[in-house]
Amino acid sequence: MEYQKINNNAYNIHFIKTTKFKKIRIKINFKEKVEREKIVYRNMLSLILLESCRKYKTKRLLDIECEELYNASIGSNTTITGNYQLLSFNNVFLNEKYTEVGMNEKTFQFFLNLIFDPLIIDNGFEETSFNNAKNYLLEDIESYEDSPMRLATSNLYHEMFEGTPIEYRVCGYKEDLEKITKENLYEYYKELIKNNHIDIFVVGEFDSNEMKKIIENNFNINTIKKPTTSHIINHNKFRKITNVTSCPKNINQSILLFGFKLDNITEFERLYTLAVYNSILGGSPDSKLFREVREKNSLCYSISSTYSGINSYEIISAGINKKDYNKAVKLIKKEIKKMALGDFTEEEIKQAQITYIASLKEIEDAPSSMISIYEAHEYLGYDLMPEREKNIVKVTKEDIITLAKKLKLDTIYLLEGVKENEKGN
Amino acid sequence: MKKEIKNLDLTVHSKTLKNGLKIYVVPLENVNNTYVTYSTRYGGKDNKFVPIDGEEMIEVPMGIAHFLEHKMFETEEGIDVFNFFSERGSNCNANTNSKKTTYLFSGPNAFYENLEFLLTYVESPYFTDENVEKEKGIIEQEIMMYKDNPYSRMYEDLMYNLFINHPLKYPTIGTKESIYKITKEDLYTCYNTFYNPSNMFIVVTGNVDPDETIKLIEKHENKRKIKNNNVIRLEEFEEVDEVYKKEKILKMDVTLPKVAIAYKINITNSNMDIHDIYSYLLNLVDLKIGTTSLFTEKLRNQGLITDTFDVSGVKADKHLILMIDCETNYPDVVLEKLKEELKDLNITEKEFERRKKTGISSLYFMSDNIYKINSKIVSDIMEHGEIDYDPITTIRNYKYSKLKELVKTINLDNYSIIKVLPEN
Repeated sequence: MEYQKINNNAYNIHFIKTTKFKKIRIKINFKEKVEREKIVYRNMLSLILLESCRKYKTKRLLDIECEELYNASIGSNTTITGNYQLLSFNNVFLNEKYTEVGMNEKTFQFFLNLIFDPLIIDNGFEETSFNNAKNYLLEDIESYEDSPMRLATSNLYHEMFEGTPIEYRVCGYKEDLEKITKENLYEYYKELIKNNHIDIFVVGEFDSNEMKKIIENNFNINTIKKPTTSHIINHNKFRKITNVTSCPKNINQSILLFGFKLDNITEFERLYTLAVYNSILGGSPDSKLFREVREKNSLCYSISSTYSGINSYEIISAGINKKDYNKAVKLIKKEIKKMALGDFTEEEIKQAQITYIASLKEIEDAPSSMISIYEAHEYLGYDLMPEREKNIVKVTKEDIITLAKKLKLDTIYLLEGVKENEKGN
Repeated sequence: MKKEIKNLDLTVHSKTLKNGLKIYVVPLENVNNTYVTYSTRYGGKDNKFVPIDGEEMIEVPMGIAHFLEHKMFETEEGIDVFNFFSERGSNCNANTNSKKTTYLFSGPNAFYENLEFLLTYVESPYFTDENVEKEKGIIEQEIMMYKDNPYSRMYEDLMYNLFINHPLKYPTIGTKESIYKITKEDLYTCYNTFYNPSNMFIVVTGNVDPDETIKLIEKHENKRKIKNNNVIRLEEFEEVDEVYKKEKILKMDVTLPKVAIAYKINITNSNMDIHDIYSYLLNLVDLKIGTTSLFTEKLRNQGLITDTFDVSGVKADKHLILMIDCETNYPDVVLEKLKEELKDLNITEKEFERRKKTGISSLYFMSDNIYKINSKIVSDIMEHGEIDYDPITTIRNYKYSKLKELVKTINLDNYSIIKVLPEN
């Protein structure tokens, strides 16, 4: 594998060359500071640019062309990572070694056309594409709370992180969507192309010079970008008394969440100690929580913990029967306490480290995860794989106990299933 | 035996052992990871059968195959299975569907140790009254989780309403009532009958030495003293073409209504096998109403749907179930239009050929991913009993004229509909 970064001032190119795959994967990221009311604009662009372009005027024609390009796939999404929001476009296609000579360029060019040559009529996006994208997004926003887990997490974020980007819904808000027009969306698009930070990642087997030429021919942007600030969100307000709250919903199963804020953690803790801590507590099916709450006490089917280094939090979630609420809370609290008291073994630490290193090796088997590593390196300054492998084994028991004390339990939240237990058909 | 899968740079090393166990190994030098699946042809539908040491047909509680899968993670020595793999930087898991149960692990290290342990724990059942009781609460919560998912509910209720006698009528996971009836004796009966080596197969894909791998498995299996149970007798049943119930409305806590229609198609009038019919028909329907169809374009532009239709199929012996679902604020209008559109099952030859091209491309996409290769082999074995060593030619041999013939035999008169509507 060979990595090369080319800084072209207005955008960066990242080439990750490897002969492991029969496909080529390209990802283009547009990045800017997240603003609550702009989230829907970015979502609209992620949809509308894959609805049509000047050359393929409807989604149907565009999808047919993807099939003609040997089943090339295109995709887009938006993500909020700390203080920033990314708008990403993906393209995966078969290396021309397996199709026809010239297909690499042809497919990449097709993909770039979607982004840089949209269907514009009278200074606005074309109406049908606009309406289709808007209808889709509106439904997405309106049905956001249908998923019990998503609703519970969203409510927890609101309790814990009100006013910060962490609580923003990634689909955006209805009141902002209502203000969007074909014209102001096009204005926003032009701004985005000009002013957003742009990174292009290419993974696979290809000729770098040829790829570079295709990119330079299409990216006619020369704005010098303002340097970015940190993505990372730190907290400075902590509760003395845990906030315990719940909300009813007409479902069968209740969802129990524990939310912690991390207080003043070091960069090493953010990237390494936290990973080990989480893995021991609830990151895997042999974790403390899984063994105690599920296997020994049969209180749930799913229980796990996750963390976010960027947003400085740790969250535990479990699907339970509401009658077991008190018992589950007590058991979970007991396991959290064990972590702070150092009631875990060297074996458990070692196992978490082995798991971490094994997952690093797996990263190289998938183009999408390889891109993630280089994104984290670019945006967050996170270490690349060899450094990660060296650093993870440095985490000690004392490190974990120190970190455990920096985990401040903020909120215990229950999405309470109030449906009478249903029978089968 | 060593045989190449044509044009995809894949070689399969395979062997059938004396006790009937089949092994397939596909080495890939280019990857770090290895993926192993150990499957038995036993799933949620197999509840009425003659046990290995019996003569009479018996019936066991629904959901037992999935329950058994959970319980295989108990070991007599108290070794925590998850822990064993995790100590070696590997992941393990298992899953059960209506026709098959699979135990799996993946990881870049300690391959032989992991493989030996997989064989050991899947071949050593350890059920006690206590550990069986303990599992009931866990599975009850799993059932509750599915009950809150509108898509699981739609699928479950549709299957119930489509069939009369076919065992696919009932969910693989069972019901709260049925799982509480399961005893350790039931589990041993099912285990001994269906976890016989002659009913099982192992597929290994990844960075391994194929000869050593087969040797290890063979040595391990030779130590077992187990009767080869070649034929498992399942209860036979007759399924009529009519559906059990034509329509159901389900009220759930959702914002946007969801609707599904499932056609029950008798396929015995065609001379093709069910797998070919499945490929032809699903591609045909996708061309008629999928993302590249004028139909979807029209419905989206009219604001009747905002996303696309999902099309899927279920093979049920003499019937093929064709399922189509979508989200819409206008369920009745969309359903009528769908039924109308499918009255004409003609597509052009150009569309048909384009679909073949994407099918062949998908095979290349599959061939550098150890998970996808593994699952392709598993599905080949489940469906045909052997690997398709020339899948590209299989697709090339699909003929437009055959599709035209097939369409003449298709009758879409029998269907069941389900609508999920908001509670308020």
